[in-house]
Amino acid sequence: MQVLKGISFELGEGEVKVVFGPSGSGKSTLLRCINMLNPPDKGEVYLRGENITDPEVNINAMRARIGMVFQHFNLFAHLKAIDNVSIGLRRVRGFPKEEAREKALEVLQTVKMEKWADHYPAELSGGQQQRVGIARALAMDPDVILFDEPTSALDPELIGEVLQVMLDLAKAGTTMIVVTHEMGFAKAVASEMIFLGDGVIIESGTPEHFFISPKSERVKKFLQQLDILYGSHEKLLK
Amino acid sequence: MILQDRPNPIGELLIVLEYWDHILSGFLLTMWLYGWALLMGFFLGLILANLRQYGGWFLSRIASGYIEFMRGTPLLAQLFFIYFLPSSLNIPVGNWKIETSFTILNKDITIILLNYRTLAGLLTLGLNSAAYQAEYFRGSIMSVGTEQLMAAQSIGMSRIAGIRHIVLPQALRRVIPAWSNEAAYLPKYTVVVYFIGVKDLFSQAHLTVTLTFISVTTYVLIAIIFLVTITLISKGLDIIHKKTMIPGL
Ligand SMILES: Nc1ncnc2c1ncn2[C@@H]1O[C@H](COP(=O)(O)OP(=O)(O)OP(=O)(O)O)[C@@H](O)[C@H]1O
Ligand SMILES: [Mg+2]
Repeated sequence: MQVLKGISFELGEGEVKVVFGPSGSGKSTLLRCINMLNPPDKGEVYLRGENITDPEVNINAMRARIGMVFQHFNLFAHLKAIDNVSIGLRRVRGFPKEEAREKALEVLQTVKMEKWADHYPAELSGGQQQRVGIARALAMDPDVILFDEPTSALDPELIGEVLQVMLDLAKAGTTMIVVTHEMGFAKAVASEMIFLGDGVIIESGTPEHFFISPKSERVKKFLQQLDILYGSHEKLLK
Repeated sequence: MILQDRPNPIGELLIVLEYWDHILSGFLLTMWLYGWALLMGFFLGLILANLRQYGGWFLSRIASGYIEFMRGTPLLAQLFFIYFLPSSLNIPVGNWKIETSFTILNKDITIILLNYRTLAGLLTLGLNSAAYQAEYFRGSIMSVGTEQLMAAQSIGMSRIAGIRHIVLPQALRRVIPAWSNEAAYLPKYTVVVYFIGVKDLFSQAHLTVTLTFISVTTYVLIAIIFLVTITLISKGLDIIHKKTMIPGL
């Protein structure tokens, strides 16, 4: 089955791209093509000029430069928060144990989770788990971080803390591709938004473009529905 | 006709227990077989489960075929197959042995740790147990889920590293309750080696019966020894399971 049908875009350093669209339109697939967890049958992905879809390229080394944050957190269940963050440093970057731990603690501080460093994922709330998930990606100092609906599995009262961390990252110049329906977040930091429908880009543009004068009827309808469903979240960002 | 006294189980038991050195050496040999078979089944089973889960089209078929074959044919048939295979191919098996002796309470006990028969029994039990253990491992690997491996790869770990450092540590913790079935009941299955003349607990019981003419009491004693052993193994694994549980889960 063909999920994505000819999608092309560029992402500059420090930019935040927000991807949204109906369920099944291929948003997750798009992200998984970008870091080759779902290698595309056709097409190419370039990271700082290097073709990562090239079979010759060391894909593990490439993935270490592309962070990913999952809808269901996917923290390593048998590892404490700190070890979730440090394992990549140790096993991939080859840091010695102590250095990896120090750096992991620093990163946990940026997501305000340092107090929970020695807790296991199952002992944390969803929002806390997702912040550790972000820290796990951040620890590798990636060139870009992919977020796949990072808040959609969270209880409403936990969404704010995760969005706040993401806002801080965006403002600090982190390059991000974010699949989300949090329009408040998009409005605040997106350099470009992409509306995906049935595996193609239906419309793209700035947040202003989408919120003031979207062209396609489909996008208008979709945004209206989001307003009904998610309208109140904008307040959380303030 | 001579009227006999009704058999007195306590008296019989005391007579049987005079042969405690036979029973002890049989028990030790049974445990020896069990330990190696379990260990061999563990590593081979782990390899089989990984091949079946991650081995790709060809290797996973091979692994499934092996597992289905071993679980679908009688253990005794597998034992005879392995035991008689060399001689049917005119390969000499030799008359070698490795044994150990010690003295307890003035009784000399000699145990043949390895000879051709024991080796055949050990291999069969290990190869057979591997198939059962593989299925338990595969179930627990599947229960860990593909998302964990995906997350491992997303931070740059190779597939192999992800399996080793992320999937297997969780799968091995999760597998303990199911795997206990195999670990606890394998001692029972070792009795098949009786049929190829290995002097395990069961054949020592048989020997004791021929020496004392007391059968029921002897076999009940053996049954109780198995029961106690299996119960202890189960309890031990239960403790390990509780100790290795992931907090919060
Ligand atoms: N591994 C897969 N194999 C086959 N089809 C898949 C696979 N993963 C997803 N699909 C299909 O691809 C399409 C796009 O799925 P995808 O998960 O990318 O959508 P999505 O936009 O992320 O949706 P959602 O909002 O529900 O997460 C769907 O029709 C889905 O059924
Ligand atoms: Mg999705």
